[in-house]
Amino acid sequence: MTQENKTTHDTIIQTQDLSLFYGDFQALHEISLSFAQREVTALIGPSGCGKSSFLRCLNRMNDLTAGTRSEGEVVFEGKNILGKKIDVVSLRRHIGMVFQKANPFPKSIYDNVAYGLVVNGLKNRSMVAARVEKSLKQAALWEEVKDRLNKPALGLSGGQQQRLCIARALAVEPEILLMDEPASALDPIATQKIEELILELKERYTIIIVTHNMQQASRVSDTTAFFYMGKLIEVGRTNALFTKPIKKETEDYITGRFG
Amino acid sequence: MIKARRRPHEWIGEGAAATAALITFALTLAIFGFMGWLAMPLLQGETLTTLFTSVWRPDRGQFGILPMAWGTLAVALPATLLAFPLSLGFACFATHLAPRRLRKTLKGLAGLMTGIPTVVYGFSAVFLLVPLIREMAGRGSGFSIIAAVLVLALLISPTMILILISAFEAVPQPWQRCFDSMGATPEETVWHLLFPLATRSMVGALLLGLGRAIGDTLIALMLAGNAVLAPTDPFGPARTLTSHIGLVMAADVESLEFRSVFACGLLLYLLIFVLTLLVRYLTRRPAA
Repeated sequence: MTQENKTTHDTIIQTQDLSLFYGDFQALHEISLSFAQREVTALIGPSGCGKSSFLRCLNRMNDLTAGTRSEGEVVFEGKNILGKKIDVVSLRRHIGMVFQKANPFPKSIYDNVAYGLVVNGLKNRSMVAARVEKSLKQAALWEEVKDRLNKPALGLSGGQQQRLCIARALAVEPEILLMDEPASALDPIATQKIEELILELKERYTIIIVTHNMQQASRVSDTTAFFYMGKLIEVGRTNALFTKPIKKETEDYITGRFG
Repeated sequence: MIKARRRPHEWIGEGAAATAALITFALTLAIFGFMGWLAMPLLQGETLTTLFTSVWRPDRGQFGILPMAWGTLAVALPATLLAFPLSLGFACFATHLAPRRLRKTLKGLAGLMTGIPTVVYGFSAVFLLVPLIREMAGRGSGFSIIAAVLVLALLISPTMILILISAFEAVPQPWQRCFDSMGATPEETVWHLLFPLATRSMVGALLLGLGRAIGDTLIALMLAGNAVLAPTDPFGPARTLTSHIGLVMAADVESLEFRSVFACGLLLYLLIFVLTLLVRYLTRRPAA
């Protein structure tokens, strides 16, 4: 496999021959992929190609599914985070996650963002308030909710709820943000807001996003990786991959011949 | 025009459900009325004044059932207060904190324990627990409030555990995943997510446990010693309303003494009723 994504940025996290099994089924086949700091990497591919499974390996969310087993390495801060001695809880404070469906807690807008902080032991009220405001601003939601922070989060629109979930993930101050189809349940305008947000967040965070929407991948990402049948077929600069794909499967997929 | 046509299976289903609800409601009311009617001879006249005293001397026309009422509370309340935290811990452990492989076994164990007949707990305790308590106290027979409390706690725990487990498992997975992804430990997830979301069910489990503890007859009858005394000493005996009913009915079916058990029944009925209302009030859903 050719590694074309050599950039000026440093690699923040990388996988080395990563394989994943659900029981007897092998979902990922020896994936080696590195992610540059403060860049957006899009993982694309048809349903069931393993891109979401791959994403969940990066903060060990697969641990929570019974019967999963992985081989190979995921290296973050010089350590293989698949190792037994890794503290998964603190790992997830470094590598946050936003899910496909917005899932705010049935609490106020403020409490939703504060949850992650309280869970992480931040007790000082004014510090919590400052961090909540900062996170909501980073998630481009502050202006819309600043006057109703104590109103229930479930009263927000779908797009606002998803940005709230992003704020909640940011409050813990992770270095990497994993996004699993964050806009697939949203209308085009809400989607556009999320995409603008991703481009802003890239100033501070490394973002790895799974998406079914190829236009979205081409709009927001610097690097794109194409997965198919549990294998990494091709990875490269987004421009190059969408205009001059090297592999035939990639071309077939991005031109809409399958998937 | 589109006319609303009711399909047969709709009104049959509705009718069946309504009938079942009505019958249950009517039966509950009927039992209440029945007990009141049968207790009437006692509730009228002079014996009524003796009912809420502490002297039970039926041969002298004194039918005080207060010691039994206190006995019920002295046995049921501590048993529930002991069993609830234990059950809560067990349920948290079995759903979130235990190693994954152990969880299924633990849940199975709780299910199995609900199936053990009460009398088995009772006679096991007569041979194992009662002698131990007799030795520890250094006085009395060992048939005591504390023996009944301990075994009753064991008896009501599995039911509470099962309710709590199903309440915790009803907390939506996405929220739990989200807590995990924020770097919450399992303990933090239990404390900050499960408890706030499952409060109502937790109170429900507590009430059901208390209801079972108040209503249980056999454990108190076998272990509490049954002396008609105001319960003051945990190592001493007590008689609960339920075991009182059992004891009187075993001996007699016609006298005023027998009639007094209906007063006990009424009192139990009201006790549970008030408890239910109280819990309903405490756990009412906040106005949306």
